[in-house]
Amino acid sequence: MVGLAIEARGLVKSFDGKEAVGGIDIAVPEGSIYGILGPNGAGKTTTLRMLLGIIEPDSGTRTLLGFERPLEAAKIVGYLPEERGLYPAMTTREAIAFMGALRGLPLEIGRKRGAILLEQNGLGDYVDKPIKSLSKGMAQTIQLFGTIVHKPKLVVLDEPFSGLDAINQGRLEHLIRDEAAAGTTIIFSTHVIHHAERLCERIAIIAAGRVRFEGLVSEARDRLRPQVRLKARNPDGAWRKALPADARQAGDLWQFELPKSGIEPMLKAFIDGGAGIEELSIERSGLHDAFVAIAGESAAREMEASGQADLGVAA
Amino acid sequence: MMSLFEAAWVIARRDFVASVFSRFFVLFLLAPLLLFGFMGFFIYAAEAQDRAASHPVVAVVADSATTAALDATRARLVASTSDQAFPILRPVPPAENVAIQAQRLLADEEGGYSAVLSGTLQRPVLTGPTRVDEFVGRRLQLVVDEARRSAALDGAGATPPALALERVVTAQAVGNLQLMRRTVAQAAQSLIFAVTLMLATLLLSTLVEEKSNKIIEVLAAAVPLDAIFLGKLLAMLGISLVGLALWSAMAGIAVTFFYHLFQNWVTLPQVTPGVGWPIFVVLLLLYYTMNFMLLGALFLGIGGQATNIREIQTISMPVTLLQLMVLLLAMTVVGANGGALALTAYIFPFSSPMAMIARASESPTLWPHLLALVWQALWVVLIIRVSSRLFRITVLKSAAGGSFFSFLRRKPKSAADPA
Repeated sequence: MVGLAIEARGLVKSFDGKEAVGGIDIAVPEGSIYGILGPNGAGKTTTLRMLLGIIEPDSGTRTLLGFERPLEAAKIVGYLPEERGLYPAMTTREAIAFMGALRGLPLEIGRKRGAILLEQNGLGDYVDKPIKSLSKGMAQTIQLFGTIVHKPKLVVLDEPFSGLDAINQGRLEHLIRDEAAAGTTIIFSTHVIHHAERLCERIAIIAAGRVRFEGLVSEARDRLRPQVRLKARNPDGAWRKALPADARQAGDLWQFELPKSGIEPMLKAFIDGGAGIEELSIERSGLHDAFVAIAGESAAREMEASGQADLGVAA
Repeated sequence: MMSLFEAAWVIARRDFVASVFSRFFVLFLLAPLLLFGFMGFFIYAAEAQDRAASHPVVAVVADSATTAALDATRARLVASTSDQAFPILRPVPPAENVAIQAQRLLADEEGGYSAVLSGTLQRPVLTGPTRVDEFVGRRLQLVVDEARRSAALDGAGATPPALALERVVTAQAVGNLQLMRRTVAQAAQSLIFAVTLMLATLLLSTLVEEKSNKIIEVLAAAVPLDAIFLGKLLAMLGISLVGLALWSAMAGIAVTFFYHLFQNWVTLPQVTPGVGWPIFVVLLLLYYTMNFMLLGALFLGIGGQATNIREIQTISMPVTLLQLMVLLLAMTVVGANGGALALTAYIFPFSSPMAMIARASESPTLWPHLLALVWQALWVVLIIRVSSRLFRITVLKSAAGGSFFSFLRRKPKSAADPA
């Protein structure tokens, strides 16, 4: 049985009397890639900060790799905050080593590993360059290296794709997969659904400070019935009586939810009714549709707006 | 999890290296030269100005014999005291009507006379406003009396020969020793005050860098806030000690090279502080450290609440005044034999180090120093703890987290302990 890297129960946090997070329950299995999905202001960052012990919850409990006090697990946790920060005058190698040292890694080892990480990722020429001479995306990459230099068991990334161009986003996805393949638990927050869909096994959908869904990505998608798409040669006829009541027509294409009884009885009725089937497909719902169904239209619109802004940066 | 001191060491090392290897550190090293240079120049200029402005000139309207006698007497008195002690005497040939001449001289802008002395040694007349009586009048009276006495003795042929005091040299005189120990006490207090003052703004602004660079989030997620505060304090203390070591070395070199030039003019006072020089130097370093840590922890806490450099600049002035008030309180113990104010200075944590170093200079008793150092260390811990909790509550917008003295408890080992 796989243990839990993170377990939180009933986390509540208010700022200046306004509730930011109102009872978060999440469970992150060890070795998984876990996404916290939600629009801006949903409470993702507050949740991560409470999990890491940067801020204390008003109520609720959490354990991080078995520790009730998150700082006690600091040596085996890596954290990339949403607001990136590095000392501008430090060289890239020193910055990586310093972040490792904060987590108990001896400086010398940190320097060596920093140089290797830079070399492996095509940044070998920047080993002794000061942070202030780097682009924003590159500095963010350096901070990410600093997050994993001490080989943590758990990596927490707050909006890691934010502000990165497409190439660096791809690089980051690779890095997350590599870390997970090595047994590291990854938890990241995002407001871009396709990042979560591509990377995560499990997700938590948060909106307005509450968890609306927590579980496998496939379970979220299964909240919606698969969609059937049908194109018939014969527009009218007895076969149309077999269509479900909620079937929608767009041109000569019909779309409806797959009935619980399955496709076979319906398919027989279409054939017997002389539909003349030209195309028939059964498509599973995407995470986006699942998100709309779970979090609501307005949360989805906010997500899309934030995602567009990020894509603007990436472009 | 790293221990508090391990974590503080990581923070301290980063801050120390970043500061010492910065080009601005050279300016920091030059700061005392600028400070003491400015102070020296200011004192010299003020004294020169004072000398010129406050040294009264008296016009002597008399015959040449009287003028010569007065000049000779003044010269003799000045040789035993100082030139400043007596008004300048400027001879003016007498006119027909001396009374009118005196009025004219007192109204003469160019001459700038404070008074006019006329007549003879047997019948001297001082003309001038009443306010000159206190300084000019009394001293002129002394000059005239002395001139008359000399003239009388010379006339009677009874002038005694010059006589030197027979000297019996002793190791020390208590009164003299007390005075010199007070000077040492004040010098030690001034040194502690000046170096801490130079670092006050640095201490105030050190957390602003982390906040503006957003690094505070990375630090706070990895190490306790207490460790961040302690690390920053230790780094600044290290920087100041490097500065002190370099300044001491420079002063030592300067003394080695230039002392022989001045040894005929300058005699170093033979003084030993109450606790003796070796212990005094150790206590000076310890009290400097405590003073720095106490005020530093306070300034770090105050500076942590500021969001930008402008706010730091705004609070710099009140903080400097606070330091000055603490110095003034500590100075009350110098030469004081007990009293409520002196006791307050010893006990009040921020004045305690400077008050106690003065005590080390004046008294040989050692045990109060041990007590004071423990007392001051407790306050350092308390202020760091309060500052970090305040930072957590107001800046990180978090509940304080954990009990106030949780750092004293040993943490239970978890099954998943990474160590």
